[in-house]
Formats: sequence, structure tokens, C-alpha cells
Amino acid sequence: MLASEKLAIAAHLHVLLRRKAGRVTDTEWMAVNADYAAEMVRVARSAAQEGAHADLAEWADKLEQAWNPRPAVAVSAREQLARVGLRAAAPASPASPADPEAPRYIGGLR
Amino acid sequence: MRARVLGYGKMVGVVGWACSACAAQAESAVAITRPGLVPEASLNPADTAWMLTATALVLLMTLPGLALFYAGMVRRKNVINTMASVLAVAALVSLLWLGLGYSLAFTPGTPWLGSLARAGFAGMDYVKDSAQVAVSHLAPHVPESVFAMFQLTFAVITPALIVGALVERMRFSALLWFAGLWSLLVYAPVAHWAWEPGGWMAQLGTLDFAGGTVVHINAGAAGLVCAYVLGPRQGYGREPFEPYSLALTMVGTGLLWVGWFGFNAGSALAADGRAGLAMLVTHLAACAGALAWMLGEWVRRRRPSLLGLCSGVVAGLVAITPASGYVTPASAVLIGAVAGLACYWGATGLKRLLRADDSLDVFGVHGIGGLVGCLMTGLLANPTVGGAKGQLVVQALGAVAVLGYSLVMTWVVLGLTRVLVGLRVDEASEQGGLDVAQHREHLGA
Repeated sequence: MLASEKLAIAAHLHVLLRRKAGRVTDTEWMAVNADYAAEMVRVARSAAQEGAHADLAEWADKLEQAWNPRPAVAVSAREQLARVGLRAAAPASPASPADPEAPRYIGGLR
Repeated sequence: MRARVLGYGKMVGVVGWACSACAAQAESAVAITRPGLVPEASLNPADTAWMLTATALVLLMTLPGLALFYAGMVRRKNVINTMASVLAVAALVSLLWLGLGYSLAFTPGTPWLGSLARAGFAGMDYVKDSAQVAVSHLAPHVPESVFAMFQLTFAVITPALIVGALVERMRFSALLWFAGLWSLLVYAPVAHWAWEPGGWMAQLGTLDFAGGTVVHINAGAAGLVCAYVLGPRQGYGREPFEPYSLALTMVGTGLLWVGWFGFNAGSALAADGRAGLAMLVTHLAACAGALAWMLGEWVRRRRPSLLGLCSGVVAGLVAITPASGYVTPASAVLIGAVAGLACYWGATGLKRLLRADDSLDVFGVHGIGGLVGCLMTGLLANPTVGGAKGQLVVQALGAVAVLGYSLVMTWVVLGLTRVLVGLRVDEASEQGGLDVAQHREHLGA
């Protein structure tokens, strides 16, 4: 993961937290400090559950994956999203598009 | 001869014009069998004005229509590269077309290829003192400069369509080599086969009013080969490739839709009733395609998507392209609806079967839509509309020939390109995005 990509994800999460949860964060620190990033992921997930904000949970997962790129993250993200009834994160292989809840944009746009 | 002429969509436009214009002009037009000079007074001002307008509309499809349509579907890190690719292909192919491609495609020669009579920017003359102007034998009632420019816009959009299959991993220099070679070695011969009256498909009676075979099957097949040869993008099938902005794609769809009126109605080569009907059926097919795709998606996935609606519009437009000068409005609705469903399958089920990372579904939409349109033209062409009856076997033969030629020659052209400059960017460049790696530019915050 490039630093610029991590920063881009942090910037997205910063904007979403400000808009959806009223929390102001430090974007650049989120991209360089693992502890701060982990805490912001926790805050974002908490706000996502409280307000059913799918995009907030999604970007929290992205930031977590950016810091800890391991398969277990995707599993926990799916479980966490399922609890709030939102879109699942990427599985290891493309799901059948006939499944209406299958994640989008994996193995095809349409 | 008449039957042969009627088998050629654009020439039917000429015949239609000749019937409606004054007798003296018609005589002058019929006598022309190759490009040459005619008195300026023999031109039809209304047709010329419409062709100028249609040309601008078709160029609008590529710039910015297709650029926006594609840029909205790629990831943020590749938006600039996608737009630059479409723009550069348009500029390069324009020069190559007037330098050589137009002559190979639209001058009499063999059934396989035209001559070099109009190579090197030759022709296109306008002699003010003697009031003479060059015309093509395919459209003797409009200046050749206008006809060549109209055809240029088709030559430009065809390789630009292929960009959708190879985005997010092809080197920019490789794309330019590929597009230039492909335009001359694949597009120009196929255009000659179908649209020059001496071409073997035109002689056979294959109906392709505005490019269902020449443009869409051709580009679709090429896109599929590009996807196979280039290989999948990193993370394909495992990671979500989120489109940058479907709003851009929607804007691009709208521009494509409007521009397509020039594409199809302009192919009548006249401002007449047939052009009007071509415009009407184009709109109906687009609407039917959008709704059919939407319904298919709604049933299969329980939700209609904006991207599905946009894709259905394009599917309907692609499929009506070869038929637009030959079918009634009711047939157009049927063609659009079938294409909407077929292309939905092409971009989903067939895509999984083919196992090719055709990034933006060029084959699924343009290849399948072109095939649907080509074959349904054979079934539904109405002689009272276009003076020609469809022949399913002849249509299938033309489609298979173009499909096969494009598959093989695209593979050859990609091989040449690989030898010249290589095809793919390195892994780090792909990971970081082609905007920075290939252009040192990136989108703002």
C-alpha cells in the first residue's frame, strides 16, 4: 500500500466522520500513526453501527486493511457489516451475481 | 447493380437522395463511380448542412462522450489515463485516416481493399475559380471533405471503443502504436468490405446501415483479444474495482445517445425521411435497451442500477446501428429490448464464461450488441423502408467474417506492438495508478 493511497483513504474517512458523526480528525496523522488509525477505525465503526452508515463502515474497513493487509480483516469486516445489515466487504473469490447481496465490482462492473 | 447498391446502407442514402433531388443533380450523381471533381452547383445544400451537423454529433460521441463514459467506470487512479487515451487515439487516428485510411476504405479497388488514390491527404479539393468541388462516388451530393470527415468520426470512435477493454494496465505508448496499426490494418479493410460498393460484403448484400458490424462487432472482438493478451489487472476477481464516478458515466451516456442521432441518421447521407426514421428508431431502441437491461437486473439482483440503465441505453444503440435505415419503429423496440437483455448477459454471465478481464465490457456490450443487431437486421429489414430485404445467412456470414478477421488481426497487431514497445505497465505503476505513472498527473482532492 502506497503512502498516497493510505492518505487518500484517511481523507475519505475524515470527511465521512465529520459529516456523519460530527467528529473532526487529523487526516495526515491517521495515515502515519497506526495507533491513531486503529482508534479512528473503532470510532468510525461505532458511528456506523449507531447511524447505519454503510459508507462509514466501508471506509473504516479500508483504512484497517491499509494498515493491516491480512485476510482476517475481510472476514471480520463482513461480519461487522452484516450486523448492521449493510453491504459486505470483498470475499476471497467472486460471488455469483445472481445473489442480490453479492458484493459489487468484484470480477465485473455490471 | 441496383440490388447491390441497395445492399449497402450508405449508398441507399444516395439513391434516396437522387430520387428526391432534381433530375439534373441525380444524373450527375449517378454518373460518378469514383472520387472526382464536380460542379459545386450539383451539390445539395440541405444534405451538406445535415452532414456537417451529423459529423459534429458523431465526434461529440467520442470527445467527450466516450471519454466521460469510460472515465467514470475506472478507478480514481486511472481516470486521467483513460481520458488521455481516448483523446490521443482520436487525434492519431484522425491524421492516419486522412493520410491513408480513408483511401484504403472508400476508393474503388479490390473487393478486399481500396486504392491509394486518396492517400496523403489527396482529393478534398475545392476550386473556387472554376466552382468545382471534389466528391466521393458514395455521396456525390455533398463535398468529399464532408463525407471523409463524417467517415473519420467513425474511424476515430472504433479504436477508441477498444480502450475500454484494456484500460488500467496498458502502456500509453503501446496504446498509440496499437490504435494506429489497428486503424489501418483492421478498420480500413473492414469498412471497405462493407461500405465501398465494390467491397465483398457490399456485393454479397450484407446490410450494415451505420456500422453494427464495421464498428461494433469489430471493436468488440478486438477488445476481447486485448483482454486476453494483456491479461487481468492485479486483484481482478478478488478486489472490488470501484468506479470513480457513475455520474460521469451518466453524462457520457447522454452525449453518446445524442451523438448517435448523427451516427445513424447521418448515415442516410441526406436530410430526408429516411434519416428522420433512422433517428426515431435509434431513440426507441435506446429506450427499449435501457428498460430491458433494467428489468433483467431488477429480476436477477432485485435492484436496478444507474450503470445498468446506462449500459442498456448503449446496448440498444449498438444493436439498432446496422438496422437503423431498414426497420420500422416496432422492430426497433424489439431489437433494443433483445439487445438490452443479451448485453446484460454478455457483461455478466458470458463474461464469467470467457474468463477475460475485459475491463469495461467492450465485448459484452459492443460485440454482443453488434451481433444481435446484425442478425436481427437480417430478420426484420423491411423493403418498404430501405428497399432491401434482410437475409439472415448473409448477415451471419458478414458478422462471422468480421469477427474472425478482427480476432486474428488484433492478435497480430498486439504482437507487433509488444515487440515495439511492450504492452503492460510494471506492477508498481499499475498499483499506484496509470495517471501518475504514465502522465505525472492526478485528480485533485
